[in-house]
Amino acid sequence: MQLGRTARIVLGTITVVVLGLVYLPLGVVFLNSISTSESLSWPPPGFTLEWWGRALESTGALEALGTSVVVALIASAIALVLGTLAAIALSRYRFFGKETVNLLIVLPIALPGIVTGIALNNAFRTLMGVDLAMWTLVVAHATFCIVTVYNNAFARLNASGTRLEEASMDLGAGLFTTFRLVTFPYLKSSLMAGGLLAFALSFDEIIVTTFTAGTGVATLPLWILQNMFRPSQAPVVAVIAVILAVLSVIPLAIAQRLTAKDAAAVAR
Amino acid sequence: MESAIRLRGLHKRFGDTIAVADLDLDIEPGEFFSMLGPSGSGKTTVLRIIAGFEQPTRGTVSLFGADVTRLAPFDRPVNTVFQDYALFPHLSVIANVEYGLRVAGVGRRERRAKAEEALGAVRLAGLEDRRPHELSGGQRQRVALARAIVLRPQALLLDEPLGALDLKLREQMQVELKELQRSLGITFVFVTHDQDEALTLSDRVAVFDAGEVVQLGTPREVYDHPRNRFIASFVGSSTLLEPDVAAALGLARAPMAVRPERVTLADSGPGAPGTIAEVIYTGPEHRIVVDLDGLDARITALEPNIGAHHRRERGDRVMVGVEPAAAAPLEPEAA
Repeated sequence: MQLGRTARIVLGTITVVVLGLVYLPLGVVFLNSISTSESLSWPPPGFTLEWWGRALESTGALEALGTSVVVALIASAIALVLGTLAAIALSRYRFFGKETVNLLIVLPIALPGIVTGIALNNAFRTLMGVDLAMWTLVVAHATFCIVTVYNNAFARLNASGTRLEEASMDLGAGLFTTFRLVTFPYLKSSLMAGGLLAFALSFDEIIVTTFTAGTGVATLPLWILQNMFRPSQAPVVAVIAVILAVLSVIPLAIAQRLTAKDAAAVAR
Repeated sequence: MESAIRLRGLHKRFGDTIAVADLDLDIEPGEFFSMLGPSGSGKTTVLRIIAGFEQPTRGTVSLFGADVTRLAPFDRPVNTVFQDYALFPHLSVIANVEYGLRVAGVGRRERRAKAEEALGAVRLAGLEDRRPHELSGGQRQRVALARAIVLRPQALLLDEPLGALDLKLREQMQVELKELQRSLGITFVFVTHDQDEALTLSDRVAVFDAGEVVQLGTPREVYDHPRNRFIASFVGSSTLLEPDVAAALGLARAPMAVRPERVTLADSGPGAPGTIAEVIYTGPEHRIVVDLDGLDARITALEPNIGAHHRRERGDRVMVGVEPAAAAPLEPEAA
């Protein structure tokens, strides 16, 4: 399709403005992390690496980072197991209420976090009568992590149909052998992609986290929120933000490559 | 002799559709048996029921005398070559062929040897380490064959295995399939919608229509004596003769089918007079359509292309002859 000269200029300008709106603030955060001004004043009066050193020594930040990683790992693991099982059930078997179950599994990703947060908070404290802790946070995160794993696995299973599994059983393999030797290897890249997305979702979640984390359980986003407006901590927060931005690109890139590879494999 | 595959009262319904209607069928050991029919005629469903992928609504499946109706696919001594091959994309060619042996717990060395032998039998030696997506359609087809025969099944089920290949390759694979079946000596059950393929390959053909076997016999029986209009037009081409047309040609006054190559044309002599309406040159032969005088009916004849010296033209007057033995009486249509 050919675009006229004016159209190209207008569209190009819009693209630059939009991308600039997204990425310039990120650049500002980076500058703040090396600015000599504690109050993030603009323009930066000078540059220093002091905050980077402080950040790497900040026990609060490092503990929060650890908590976030552990929560994200466990929530993703739960999501991988349950999401895969659900995807197999819904793509391979017919049963009563199947469409409803499908909707109920996917819904948590669409529900406003504040609703999920309040609901789980109530359920944990009043219905179940337990104290909020790390595990309540993990369970809360797992509810929406399942969705990414489930969606990825379900799409892959539907694209392939049952032919490979039929071939496997025809050649003498039972249900579990077929899963181990055929279905799982076939799903592996989809599960990786889904798992990475789940990890990323859990890692920076803050709304549900606020309502379901026990006292003393601070994930990195919570820690940032608590420290952002303390004068002496603001530049340290900027450092952490930069580190997170860099780290978050990695799983996203891997997930994208895996999905692209999958699409190519299915197309063949 | 015990049948290799025996179907009794086999019935399969999908919702309101009857896919297979109370089918009885016996397939003999060592036989090349084709199930021929248009799509939706139930032939593939029957194959899938024999393999164990579908459960019949009622009826039984026996393999060499053993009732397997309720057995899972992995407990049945048959193997399948799938229409789209269904090779495992993440496994190499040799690992695909070894799969069944691996699952059965056969040792590494033994299964490697057997898999290589099977690959040799389908003339694929040397491609062991390729992945399925690196192979041509014909090669994939051979891997699928090797993967199934390596297990020495009591019967091999083939679901339109040549459908995805181009014509030249298909003809070559037909010959190889036939040779393979002869050398293995096992029953082949071959599903196809290609009547040519069914006639060329089979010892016996079952013609399917709307979930029923409408004719069962050797290729010669089915081709020379089609039982009804459907078979006469689906298997090869035929001219269907109404009773008065048959009578005018000197045959019994009944609905008949006649193959174009059994219709003779002559400049004079006995037969029914007519005028040539169309001459179609097909290369090896001429397809000649004749309007029969006073009958509002057409009949098609084939004449071999034997050179330019004797050529019929549109508008020529001819005498049309059909030997009584060349015409197949058709059963009256069920209302």
